[in-house]
Amino acid sequence: MADKKQYWRGIAELENPGLKEQLGKNEFRDPLPTDEFLSDENALHNGQTSRRDFLKYMGFTTAAATLAACESPVYESVPYVVAPEEVIPGLANYYATSYFDGHDYASLLIKTREGRPIKVENNKMAKLNGSANARLQGSVLNLYDSSRLQAPRKGSESIDWETLDAQVIDGLQKADAAGKQVVLLTGSVISPSAQKVIRKFGKQFKQFRHVVVDPLSYSEKLRAWQEATGKRALPLYHFDKARAIVSFGADFLGDWVGQSVSSDYAKTRVPGKDMSRHLQFEANLSLTGSNADQRYKLKASETGLALAELYNAIAQAKGRPTLNLKGKSSQYQAVQKAGKELLKAGAKALVVAGGNNADWEHLVIAINKMLGAEGNTVNVEQRCFLRQGSDQALENLTADMKAGKVGGIVLHNANPAYHRAGNLAFKEALQKVNTRVAITPKANETAQACDFLAAESHYLESWNDFKPADGHYSLQQPTIQRVYDTRQFEECLMRWAGMVGSYREMIQNSWQEGMLRDRSWKEVLHDGVFAAATPLAGATQEPAEQETAQEAQSDGANLDRVAASVSKMAQNASGMELNLYQKAGVGAGMLANNPWLQELPDPITRTTWDNYVALSAADAKELGLRNWNESDGALNGNAVNLTIGKTKLKEVPVIVQPGQTPGTIGLAIGYGRKGLGKVADGVGLNAQQLSVGRAHFAEVEVEPLPEYKHPFASIQHGYTMMGREIVKETDLSTFLNKPAHTAAGDGWNELPEFGTYKGEQAPDKTTLWSSFDHETGHMWNMSIDLNMCTGCGACVVACQSENNVPAVGKEEVRNFRDMHWLRIDRYYSSEVTEEMAEDLSTAELYDQMEKAADSPSVYFQPVMCQHCNHAPCETVCPVAATTHSSEGLNHMAYNRCIGTRYCANNCPYKVRRFNWFEYHNNQERFDVNYSMNEDMGKMVLNPDVTVRSRGVMEKCSMCIQRIQLGKLEAKKNGVPVKDGQVQTACQSACDTGAIVFGDVNDKESKVFQLKGDDRMYHLLGEVGTQPSVFYQVKVTNKA
Amino acid sequence: MHYEAPIRRPLITGDKSYEDITRDVSRPIETNAPRSWWIVFSIALLAFLWGIGCILYTIGDGIGVWGLNKTIGWAWDITNFVWWVGIGHAGTLISAILLLFRQKWRMSINRSAEAMTIFSVIQAALFPLIHMGRPWLAYFVFPLPNQFGSLWVNFNSPLLWDVFAISTYFSVSLVFWYVGLIPDFSMLRDRAKNPVQKHIYRILSFGWAGRAKHWQRFEEVSLVLAGLATPLVLSVHTIVSMDFATSVIPGWHSTIFPPYFVAGAIFSGFAMVLTLLIITRKVLHLESYITREHVELMNIVIILTGGIVAVAYITEFFIAWYSGSNYEDFVYMSWGAATGPYAWAFWALIICNIITPLFLWFRKVRRNFLASFIISIVINIGMWFERFDIIVMDLSRDYLPSSWAMFSPTFVDIGIFVGTIGFFFVLFLLYARSFPVIAQAELKTILKSSGENYKKLQAKEEHGH
Repeated sequence: MADKKQYWRGIAELENPGLKEQLGKNEFRDPLPTDEFLSDENALHNGQTSRRDFLKYMGFTTAAATLAACESPVYESVPYVVAPEEVIPGLANYYATSYFDGHDYASLLIKTREGRPIKVENNKMAKLNGSANARLQGSVLNLYDSSRLQAPRKGSESIDWETLDAQVIDGLQKADAAGKQVVLLTGSVISPSAQKVIRKFGKQFKQFRHVVVDPLSYSEKLRAWQEATGKRALPLYHFDKARAIVSFGADFLGDWVGQSVSSDYAKTRVPGKDMSRHLQFEANLSLTGSNADQRYKLKASETGLALAELYNAIAQAKGRPTLNLKGKSSQYQAVQKAGKELLKAGAKALVVAGGNNADWEHLVIAINKMLGAEGNTVNVEQRCFLRQGSDQALENLTADMKAGKVGGIVLHNANPAYHRAGNLAFKEALQKVNTRVAITPKANETAQACDFLAAESHYLESWNDFKPADGHYSLQQPTIQRVYDTRQFEECLMRWAGMVGSYREMIQNSWQEGMLRDRSWKEVLHDGVFAAATPLAGATQEPAEQETAQEAQSDGANLDRVAASVSKMAQNASGMELNLYQKAGVGAGMLANNPWLQELPDPITRTTWDNYVALSAADAKELGLRNWNESDGALNGNAVNLTIGKTKLKEVPVIVQPGQTPGTIGLAIGYGRKGLGKVADGVGLNAQQLSVGRAHFAEVEVEPLPEYKHPFASIQHGYTMMGREIVKETDLSTFLNKPAHTAAGDGWNELPEFGTYKGEQAPDKTTLWSSFDHETGHMWNMSIDLNMCTGCGACVVACQSENNVPAVGKEEVRNFRDMHWLRIDRYYSSEVTEEMAEDLSTAELYDQMEKAADSPSVYFQPVMCQHCNHAPCETVCPVAATTHSSEGLNHMAYNRCIGTRYCANNCPYKVRRFNWFEYHNNQERFDVNYSMNEDMGKMVLNPDVTVRSRGVMEKCSMCIQRIQLGKLEAKKNGVPVKDGQVQTACQSACDTGAIVFGDVNDKESKVFQLKGDDRMYHLLGEVGTQPSVFYQVKVTNKA
Repeated sequence: MHYEAPIRRPLITGDKSYEDITRDVSRPIETNAPRSWWIVFSIALLAFLWGIGCILYTIGDGIGVWGLNKTIGWAWDITNFVWWVGIGHAGTLISAILLLFRQKWRMSINRSAEAMTIFSVIQAALFPLIHMGRPWLAYFVFPLPNQFGSLWVNFNSPLLWDVFAISTYFSVSLVFWYVGLIPDFSMLRDRAKNPVQKHIYRILSFGWAGRAKHWQRFEEVSLVLAGLATPLVLSVHTIVSMDFATSVIPGWHSTIFPPYFVAGAIFSGFAMVLTLLIITRKVLHLESYITREHVELMNIVIILTGGIVAVAYITEFFIAWYSGSNYEDFVYMSWGAATGPYAWAFWALIICNIITPLFLWFRKVRRNFLASFIISIVINIGMWFERFDIIVMDLSRDYLPSSWAMFSPTFVDIGIFVGTIGFFFVLFLLYARSFPVIAQAELKTILKSSGENYKKLQAKEEHGH
């Protein structure tokens, strides 16, 4: 276009052509003379900055600095580049998997959020070990443990996998070429595919040995079964079929042979005509003994004799020949009684023994056979493979290593330098092996003596298949990409055996070729478990070609020899006996670097962060040892030096334990770690440093240290119920034959009533407050059956994991400031009776009432926020931070809380927990609580639950996040919330079904039925708090 | 003029004229402080600073630095709070109730008693603030309008009642005290030579000119404030006691608490007044005004209130037993307490609060300055133990034995308590050297009726007739 068209911005411009320039000039009057200013160097050097300029510069720099300081913090977050199909932010995914570490086994469901595993749940489809114990509930936290090996190492230096592979293969082949043995030392192997890999790996070498060792030896028990059945495996037990259970030191509700039996046991403990009777003979007061209907103190050295006496009692009744015994056991009468009970139950009887003694086991096998229990409560057809270790083989290996016959060793799931520290000089012998490889998640005691540390993956990062028992299979699948540069055991072996392909493919192929038949791999992977009659193709019948002891098997089962042997043992016993046991939290110590587990109170002593000698009151008096409380109530104890042969354990703290058999002491294994990480290291002492031998008990010299003071971190100081109706109890015959409530008020479950002008009234009727409508909508209630609760503690860890409850460390627990939202109170019975009370002065009476009896009954009572409908906490909060919901829940608004602690003071149940400090991002004080103080550890936090700041009160919310989810799901589907759809964390962790949660306005619900049960009562109902939680009276089946 | 029977003992001893009173009262202000004052002041200041350090440490790190635990959520904090509030009771009682009852003897002690009230309520108010987990949100306890809609304070909570009770009490006491000070400040203003001092007292004296109208208004305001303050004397500690009485914890849940707490508060308040004034009269040479007579009268109030407290203890003990409830077995007044782990605290309370005051029934003891001084301190210790026992012992053994616990203070607990004592004495010492410690204007009104010399004159006159 030749001439540009002109557009005016207005009439003014048309009329006044110079206006635009003029306006422009006015707007930007003087251009800043920067060029001029900066070009004149002289002036710049000599000239003084004018006040105006100075102010300009200052203004600019201040503004710039302010803006720079306002930069919003950048957290490490990476968005999905390609969003995974199955991950919906905010919704959890569940994957079925299995856990096995050579000791604990379980089928689990893993809850993941945005790709992070955050919670362990029970796999209810599993027929065998479908429930996680307290340890496994906490095992998810070990995934995020930064003290795991993060990469393979040679000595203390990190190397890459290629280098490690090359050097390990080289080392092993050199050993093989030199004509030396190549050894694989593992824990029990229950994976058919792993066994295949091991065989393949072993074939490379001329002299290959696979030795298996269990953390706590079961090889004698296994030997007995081998002698009795020809198969070196334990049977499966069916506690659900048992009507009379007699246990000799078997802590089957705690840790026994790996099979989880508590849910089966609980099935027989429902009060009614079919309720089982459980008698326990034991030295330590175990979890199982605490739950028994009758418990008898028996030294381990007398166990064999008592079993033989039981054999004789039953044999006599059945007209069979009896054994020739010398002497009588201290519980002879009780054993006769037990015999009668067993005979009454016939085939529905079950005798089990703890420890690791072939003679005992032979007697048990014979008794069960005689009773007809074999094939009924004892399943010898289906064998259990969870315990396979052979101590003889390990001893032979150690001798060979010492003799320089071993050129290469690969370790996995085995830590003999720790677990056999007292029995064997394993670590010294290991030094004679040229190539030492440990496939391990931690630089643990044995791994520290190896040159190659192959960083092992966590079970949540690994594939595997398991065959814990005949006919039972389960799968392990990863739920997260490997967090560190790790590899699982089988992958390592495959590389070193030159196998191609992945371990997962191998599992999948062998399953699909073998037993799956018409079922799809995906389906089985989804379920996580598989029951098959046909064995997996290619998998061996016998647990691998591992070594077993070459021992005389000819007359092992000769009961006359056994009788002589057990008589001799009882006669020779003279000194103190040490009994090893495992605690609910730490077990054999594999997962010990976990603050949740260290802080899980022992169910019996309620002590955390320690192991200790449990001593009877009589022995304590004799040795001049005691426990005493500081002015702040914290528990202290003296200590002892323990000596067995040449092995010594110094300064072991002492707890005087009611129910401990005089002449015996108990000591838990799994403590005193080195190299596991900051949580576990240095906590307690390693009991297995003493040469206890293969049995779980040994004679021990006890040297008292009455001047020594050890600080304990105990979360309960009271022993007894002080005559208060806290745990209500009745016996079975009363329960069956008498009414719960009578007009005369002498029923076995009388509920509190107050005399008013209107007559006797229930506490919830005598109130000043106006009542609310609890009939409309939901009314969440919880029932806790004290008959079902075994006190195992799984719910406590589940709650901690679900609700981001901090672990506070030993010092703070000692200060009585544990943060558990759910606790399991333990009470002992006292010896005071009503008749006694009349003869005692008040002061003496109170004193006696506080003391536990020498042989106490033990009661467990889970207590969480009772969600009172007339809540004392709610009325006293000045800022209404804790309020009641229309659904019967007591809410806590953390943001509103100013921390007066009045609510906690006024809580009759003392379930409120105050944040005394900042528990997260406070490494200075709470280093051990890595789930809240390390970036990696924080991955375990549940994103649905607030992490509470310091200065606020917190408590059980009845898993409100789960309730909310259940309600929203139901709403989305347009249906009412189904009973059982919402499960609290404690409920879903409880494998005995003691905890039932639901809506009592749903008249079809289980909890509604339970509320109407005769056994129902409210804890401290007479206070009038009208709790939403109620308990079911404990019914014992005493003889 | 007020006529007083000759058999009444004089309230002002020695040959004092109006001018003597003026001079005696203004002497501490117009002279330099002696070395002993500086020493005591320095100690108090150090204690105060130490307390501030401990408070800052608590706020910085969390309540965990105290000795509390999951069962015992209150201990020294609320013990100290109630103790200081209790001490703060005597002032208002003396100035308000005794004013209404026309007890003239209050005139030489009410100023210091009220000062003590104000200073101790300041200490008391500190504890509810710092015992919070998040004291920076303390304003949540005020019913402030906010953007959260219906978010409001919980009027059911006794802690909230405390907020109102204490703040009302503090403001009324402060105003009452200040009103009384006005004529005395003006006296100081008139005498001051230093212009700065003069200026300050001029501001403080509100332009008081001593006109008849001023006096009339003064009297009226005093009477109105006395009327207002009288119910407060009863209400404050009633409400403080409801922190416990309305709860469900055995030992706390007790209907006797309101009257018993009020009596206890007066008991401890008078003891503290005695402690302070026995020293003050000596140090500031006020022996003529704060006489043996005053000490005896205060001791009689202590006997009375102490008696009420003792009866309350016995009632508590009896009812705990009579209830037949085994939850009451270990409340702070019970056999369980007397023989349990806190027996030392129980017996400390009994010895300090029941047994020791019994000596005051002896006329010789209650008219003896040293004995009164020692007993007053013992009572204050006893009253501290009373609150400690109620709070800690009752919490330590409540319903579920599984949660039973014990308490032991940390250095921070002790530091804060010592700090408040330091703060209290810093304030009191400053007061003693800058405020007229005796309400001289009021005192002058009774010189002619209750002064020793005038009484003698009067007696002579009557005798002469």
